[in-house]
Amino acid sequence: MRKIIVAGIAAGALVALGGALPASAADGDAQLSVLHAVPDVTVDVYVNNALTLDDFTPGTLAGPLALPAGTYSVAITASDAADASAPLIGPIDLPLAAGGNYTAVAHLTPAGDPTATLYTNDISTIPAGQGRLTVRHDAAAPAVDVLAGGAAVISNLSNPAESVLTLPAGTVSATVAATGTTDPVIGPADVNVAEGTSTIVYAWGSLEAGNLALAVQTIDGLHSNPGGVPAGEAGLVATNRPADTSGLWFAGLAALLVVGAGALSTTVRRRAVAKSGR
Amino acid sequence: MRTRRATAGATATPAVAPARAGIAAAAVLLAAPLLTGCAGPTDSATGTGGAGATSAAPTATAPTGSPTPEPTSTAPAASGLDVPRTNADLAAQPPQTVIEPVRVEVPSLGIDVAVTAEALADDGTLALPADPDVAAWYRYGPSPWSAAGATVIAAHVDSLEYGLGQFAQLASAPAGTLVVVTGDDASVAQFTTATVEVLQKTAVPWATVFDRTGAPRLTLVTCGGEFDYSTGHYLSNVIVTATATATPTG
Repeated sequence: MRKIIVAGIAAGALVALGGALPASAADGDAQLSVLHAVPDVTVDVYVNNALTLDDFTPGTLAGPLALPAGTYSVAITASDAADASAPLIGPIDLPLAAGGNYTAVAHLTPAGDPTATLYTNDISTIPAGQGRLTVRHDAAAPAVDVLAGGAAVISNLSNPAESVLTLPAGTVSATVAATGTTDPVIGPADVNVAEGTSTIVYAWGSLEAGNLALAVQTIDGLHSNPGGVPAGEAGLVATNRPADTSGLWFAGLAALLVVGAGALSTTVRRRAVAKSGR
Repeated sequence: MRTRRATAGATATPAVAPARAGIAAAAVLLAAPLLTGCAGPTDSATGTGGAGATSAAPTATAPTGSPTPEPTSTAPAASGLDVPRTNADLAAQPPQTVIEPVRVEVPSLGIDVAVTAEALADDGTLALPADPDVAAWYRYGPSPWSAAGATVIAAHVDSLEYGLGQFAQLASAPAGTLVVVTGDDASVAQFTTATVEVLQKTAVPWATVFDRTGAPRLTLVTCGGEFDYSTGHYLSNVIVTATATATPTG
């Protein structure tokens, strides 16, 4: 009711809010997201033998789920399976610590076999003005370099490893190339490294099958704040100004301005003449 | 050009300076009676954390409105989980379109300033335009059209080069004062002031001022209180919190 939302951005804002959820969920719970990064196969995901994600399609990110700390058994089956007894991947144990933030990724090994990897997401605070970019190699492909601006910013990243960078907020045009080369196998692609946000990019798919792709997960609410607002320098409204009566104050103000202007122009002149003004 | 005393600007505008000074003097005349009203709150407001009253209403955070594009998941009742799903493809990410504020007006106080999007100064504080009549919007925080959080817009209260700034009037804003923000797409957002606080700079809860959660609200910041004549800085910030009004139509 008190919200003023322009319709056009409402949908985007909702998505952003969804991204904000993990940071604000119940204390003590672990946050688990699940990314399906195995091409061409729709699956079901069972957590502790309970069907949790039905008909989960490739390239889809699910979660975050708030779960009490503990170890969870995850099995990934064909989408028409009746239960978790004949999984395609797993069952694997996911040990989730209290307050931790995790992403479980179903993906291919370098050789192209289905597997799953549990990543721990860094949700530590990010300096103001910066964003965190994490790149995870989950593709059936050899080790890669990630290039931005023509130079490798990540080198020799191999499946299933990750690399974490802290960057000034902004858009990064990135390409992925086989290690030691610059010929892109993915990209160039624009990645928005949002301020105060962890942006996690997954390279997935198969080089051999020609379906390499990038998936993105974001975790916001990790920002820091400006350290202050220095918003005055003349003392014109100071409560401790030298004289409190208007007349004197105006005299003082005039003098201040004159002196200030004089000092400034003197400084400038001095700088123009000699190099060390002061 | 580091942070203070823009010498280049000073030399470029010697003719303007006297005019500015005249305006400044006139503005001081207006501000002077208000300053005594400001001095009172300086002492009392620091203790009475009015901020709690205004920021304590995160009523519409809408955490339950999670995007669930796939209503097909009927079965997970087994575990009682309804897990939101999103298309993670890089190209499917929603564009970061933000309506940026470009103007702030407080009609009853005669404030009408341009607003520019600013980030951080080298020392990690909010970067402000040198001209006190141009305010800074913290571009990484919410905008008035964001779904949640505090939009922070700040301006110098005064300047050695330009004289008194319009935000000097803020310290005297009575509760309920109308504040109008215009966006770069000509959208208009209206707020009404709830609190005016004068807080020692060392005691300002910046995480609260720059809070990106909770009800949409506007926080106007400038300087005030006592002035340290040896360092050339005010010792306090004037912080005005305003809440979004129901609808801008009418």
